[in-house]
Amino acid sequence: MSGLDDTRPTTLQVSAIGGEGGGVLATWVVAAAQRAGYPVQSTSIPGVAQRTGATVYYIEVFPVSIADLAGKRPVMALYPGVGDIDIMLASEFAEAGRAIFNGFVTPDRTYLIASTHRVYAIGERSDMADGRYDVERLFDAARERTKHAYLADLRQVAEANGVSLNAILFGVLAGIGQLPMAVADYKGAIEDSGIAVGTNIEGFEIGLNFSFSGEPEITDPIIEKNGLGPTTPEALKFRVSSEFPESCQTILLEGVSRLAGYQDIAYAAVYLDRLSGILGIENSVGGDGTVTAEAGRQLALRMSYEDVIRVAQLKSAGDRLDRIREEVGAKDGEPIVVVDYLKPGIDELCSVLPAGLGRSLISLAERQGWRDRFNCGLYLKSTTVTGYLRLRLLAGLRRWRRGTFRYSEEQISIEAWLEDVKGTLSLSRSLATETVECARLIKGYGETHRRGTENFKLIREQVIAPALSGAISTDIATDAVANARAAALSDPDGTRLDDVLAEISKVTIGNAAE
Amino acid sequence: MERSFKKEVTTLRLGDGDMFHGEGILGVTKALLQSGVSYVGGYQGAPISHLMDVLSDAKPLLDELGIHFEVCANEASAAAMLAASVNYPIRGAVTWKSVVGTNVASDGLSNLASAGVKGGAVIVVGEDYGEGSSIIQERTHAFAMKSTMCLLDPRPELPTMTRMVEEAFKLSEASNMPSVLELRIRACHVYGHFDAKDNVNPLYSRNNKIPAAEFDFSRVCLPPATYTQEKHKIEHRLPAAIKYIADNNLNERLDGDVPEIGIIVQGGIYNTLMRGLRQFGLADSYGKSRISTLVMNVTYPMVPDEIADFCVSKDAVLVVEEGQPEFIEQAINAILRKKDVNAKIIGKDVFPMAGEYTSEVMLKGLYGFLSKYAPAGLNVKTVLAEIDQLFSDRDGAREILGDGLPLRTPSFCTGCPERPIFSALKILEKELGPAHISADIGCHTFAALPPFNVGNTVMGYGLGLASSAGLAPSFHKRVISIMGDGGFWHNGMTSGVAAAQANGNDAVLLVVKNGYTSATGWQLLPSSLRDRNGNKRDMSIEKVLRGFGVRWLKTVRTYSIARMVKTLRKAMTTAEGGLKVIIADGECQLARQRRIKPEVAKRLKDGKRDVRSRFGVDEDVCTGDHSCIRLSGCPSLTIKPSSDPLRTDPVAHVNNDCVGCGVCGEVSHAAVLCPSFFEARIVRNPNFLDRLLWNIRSGVIALLSSKSPTVAS
Repeated sequence: MSGLDDTRPTTLQVSAIGGEGGGVLATWVVAAAQRAGYPVQSTSIPGVAQRTGATVYYIEVFPVSIADLAGKRPVMALYPGVGDIDIMLASEFAEAGRAIFNGFVTPDRTYLIASTHRVYAIGERSDMADGRYDVERLFDAARERTKHAYLADLRQVAEANGVSLNAILFGVLAGIGQLPMAVADYKGAIEDSGIAVGTNIEGFEIGLNFSFSGEPEITDPIIEKNGLGPTTPEALKFRVSSEFPESCQTILLEGVSRLAGYQDIAYAAVYLDRLSGILGIENSVGGDGTVTAEAGRQLALRMSYEDVIRVAQLKSAGDRLDRIREEVGAKDGEPIVVVDYLKPGIDELCSVLPAGLGRSLISLAERQGWRDRFNCGLYLKSTTVTGYLRLRLLAGLRRWRRGTFRYSEEQISIEAWLEDVKGTLSLSRSLATETVECARLIKGYGETHRRGTENFKLIREQVIAPALSGAISTDIATDAVANARAAALSDPDGTRLDDVLAEISKVTIGNAAE
Repeated sequence: MERSFKKEVTTLRLGDGDMFHGEGILGVTKALLQSGVSYVGGYQGAPISHLMDVLSDAKPLLDELGIHFEVCANEASAAAMLAASVNYPIRGAVTWKSVVGTNVASDGLSNLASAGVKGGAVIVVGEDYGEGSSIIQERTHAFAMKSTMCLLDPRPELPTMTRMVEEAFKLSEASNMPSVLELRIRACHVYGHFDAKDNVNPLYSRNNKIPAAEFDFSRVCLPPATYTQEKHKIEHRLPAAIKYIADNNLNERLDGDVPEIGIIVQGGIYNTLMRGLRQFGLADSYGKSRISTLVMNVTYPMVPDEIADFCVSKDAVLVVEEGQPEFIEQAINAILRKKDVNAKIIGKDVFPMAGEYTSEVMLKGLYGFLSKYAPAGLNVKTVLAEIDQLFSDRDGAREILGDGLPLRTPSFCTGCPERPIFSALKILEKELGPAHISADIGCHTFAALPPFNVGNTVMGYGLGLASSAGLAPSFHKRVISIMGDGGFWHNGMTSGVAAAQANGNDAVLLVVKNGYTSATGWQLLPSSLRDRNGNKRDMSIEKVLRGFGVRWLKTVRTYSIARMVKTLRKAMTTAEGGLKVIIADGECQLARQRRIKPEVAKRLKDGKRDVRSRFGVDEDVCTGDHSCIRLSGCPSLTIKPSSDPLRTDPVAHVNNDCVGCGVCGEVSHAAVLCPSFFEARIVRNPNFLDRLLWNIRSGVIALLSSKSPTVAS
């Protein structure tokens, strides 16, 4: 048409996270194209995005060499175009998603290279429960909306090989052959930069030869489920397998094992007794054990509440040192010193005092406003002999746990919650499930724990109790509990929970007036 | 600053016959030297920091050429530097981030522009407008118009950008007006190439000094000369500028084969326009366009005849002008009306009034224009349908992804010394209730984003304290003002501290002292410990404050959160009136890491003992409520799925990026969160004693723990 030339630059976007070296990758691509004699242009907006924000580097390589152009200059764009990107390199999976969302990845032309690991954004991390974005959506979009998607957890590959992720991505880019440069140009670019040339070439080779065959796995940091501990008593194992339906057994065995280690076999037996009661009712209303299983999960957590003794037990556990050494990357022959950040206060003191004494002290502290004041900051060197002994001493208080104030408080609260579960179970299984789930609110330590307990109490009094008394219908109550729980977990200040509860109380009062 | 720009400096020495490869702003720096500039100054800020950084490292070259380079205290000082070109025929250039820097500079600029210049005076501004911007969104264009300065907006490719630097000097000299060279962020960072030329020795310089003083009252900004100057602008300077622009073809007219329509575009947007036209099949990759285009490399003043000639005999002309108000479009309409040219002018009817012209905005704008004004012969129906399809396909992709893609806002870096200040403020807030925080410009402004959400107003660089003056007396508790050390030296010590002292204000000021202007790329400050050559400096914020008569003055290491909370509480509650200043002291971690990494590597290589600190979370102790993250937000404090089969919520986790600053542990301590955090000190190249101790300790622990009942989870 009117003598317009068809040649177009090959367009490439690097989507990365600020401060993680997307710029280096872009520099390599530019250098490789420059070495090969092709016109290349790159640009970026590193500005404030440099600091952990999403960053974008945009590169165009013109597939006709400067020599062949004989003085002609292509006009290259400074912005990635919707539907105009040939290669998308994403160093993190949600950033690939963002590129797709923005229209920079399209099925007619875009080759997507993405590492499928996640670097969680602040909103995902700061959620009070689980705020992670659903990676399945990313996989679906990556599979459906690209010309071809090269997906793998390349960060894991990088870490396993001690090379940088950038170098691997650069190798993959060379490998897919969509840019006009030769492999030697890519390598030359790394060599010319003069920085960590050896390891970067190594990483490049890994990327160049990486096989993307097979389905990429959903990779979060490695999950090693602990499995059963050695303390699971045979008698209780037998009880689980004979008294409970199969769908419950995995969780219940975990619970038994944990509680036996946490306290003793008798305590684990109490756990099963409590669940038997729930299963009985669930069976009578035609349930299949789902509620019992979920109650088993939450009950095990509630019964292994984190008191000082528990923390000391965990911090003096035999495998802890090895685990820490591995986590922090201590090499063989490198000694480590572990310093634990502990700050016990009145709550922690009372938790190990005998029930009567603890109760008096807590109420005194409450009256005097001392509860948050007298905390004792400790930096405990738990790898020293004396430090470790102190932990062991605390852990040894386990044998007196049943007499402690915290124990009696927890058991009262657990019993009340179980009564609610049973009561709601006879009304509706979904309401019972929601009631079980409310236990998730109670977690953390100190003030966090108190706030969670407070929220739990509010939901009990204002939603579950009216449901049990028939003041609100079970359907409404089911939604109400779910909403209230979500609200309680959505903001730390509890304003949203207050709003939701106010809404619910209108319904309750409305019903009562009818 | 810990970065070195020696490599870039070598490119400044290229000469005739060499090919320059590099970033746009570096190309502009080179072009200054090719233009025979005598002096250069400025104030750092993205995206023009690089110009200053590179010249800071180019001392030998500058010495050879006799060029004076000045790191100015602020943009006002930089603008004032151009006074050198008022009386004498010497060329000078200054640079800053716009529009904020231009705001600060505008007093000097107005006086400069009124007096007029004899030697070429060029202001290189980084136009920080659009999606990656860190500042308020306004146009520099208005400043050029109100002060009668030339405004150049070159095509964003190195040959044009560098040519326009030289033209800017000549234009300035031809018209006696200062020239503003406006470069958008992406243009500053664009990597490309151009044919270099030899550097030019300035006419007068440090090597060849101006022999005599000139006094010319007509150049002094004092009545009645100011009235004459205002007339001179209209009667002489503007016509001279317009003549120069037209005679030297600074604007480019590119004719196509479609007679009915045309496009007038700001030079800086030209590449985006061409790409858009190519997507519509109306241009190719070499800039050949079927639709005639007038590229305005100079956007003020405009050349009325050029506009009229371009528009005459066309039915409709599209004006592609970024930002608001649409000064160019309005001016074109006025020109055509006066010249009785009847082409219809389309601009903000199809383009958005506000915001950056990205490729998507361009596509949609062209779509709007072409769907209505494309002549019948130019069959655009098919291509319009293709563009429709493109966007509906994208909607499909968005449906798969949903609306919940996590936002990634900028935040404090791993180990940042500023983070704990805001953790402390959050902790204190629980005790004293929410305070009004009068924030400032710097990395610390990020506190307004999650997880802190701290900072109620931001009024400008160094203005944290000044911006509390109106509110504080009427507010129920003390207002906390924040100011960085950069802002302090920029103007905050006078606009804030001196003013508060002179007025006897009861105020609380937190000076965030990290040793650099970190947000702009670690440039040194008067209070930095050493200058670029490593010599000790003797200026300090404390001395200034003492000199200003501040009596309540505490310096707190930022990482000591408990102490910070205590000191802040004291400042908020003490009966003592007057200004209370807390200097929050902690070196920028990025700069620190850059400094110590090679030192540590060397120590390890030499087999010397080194202790590395790293933090961690005992995941079986963590219950997954994430309070620690909400009070810290450190990028290395993240989450991972719990390996506990009974827990469904992810637990907190410290990843390998941890630099061991300890904020997570300190926050957990100060806020009494949980006992999950530990510090692991790893002894590398351990000595005999280290190994002996370790063997004893690990032996005893193994012995004791194997006897104990194993904890099940």
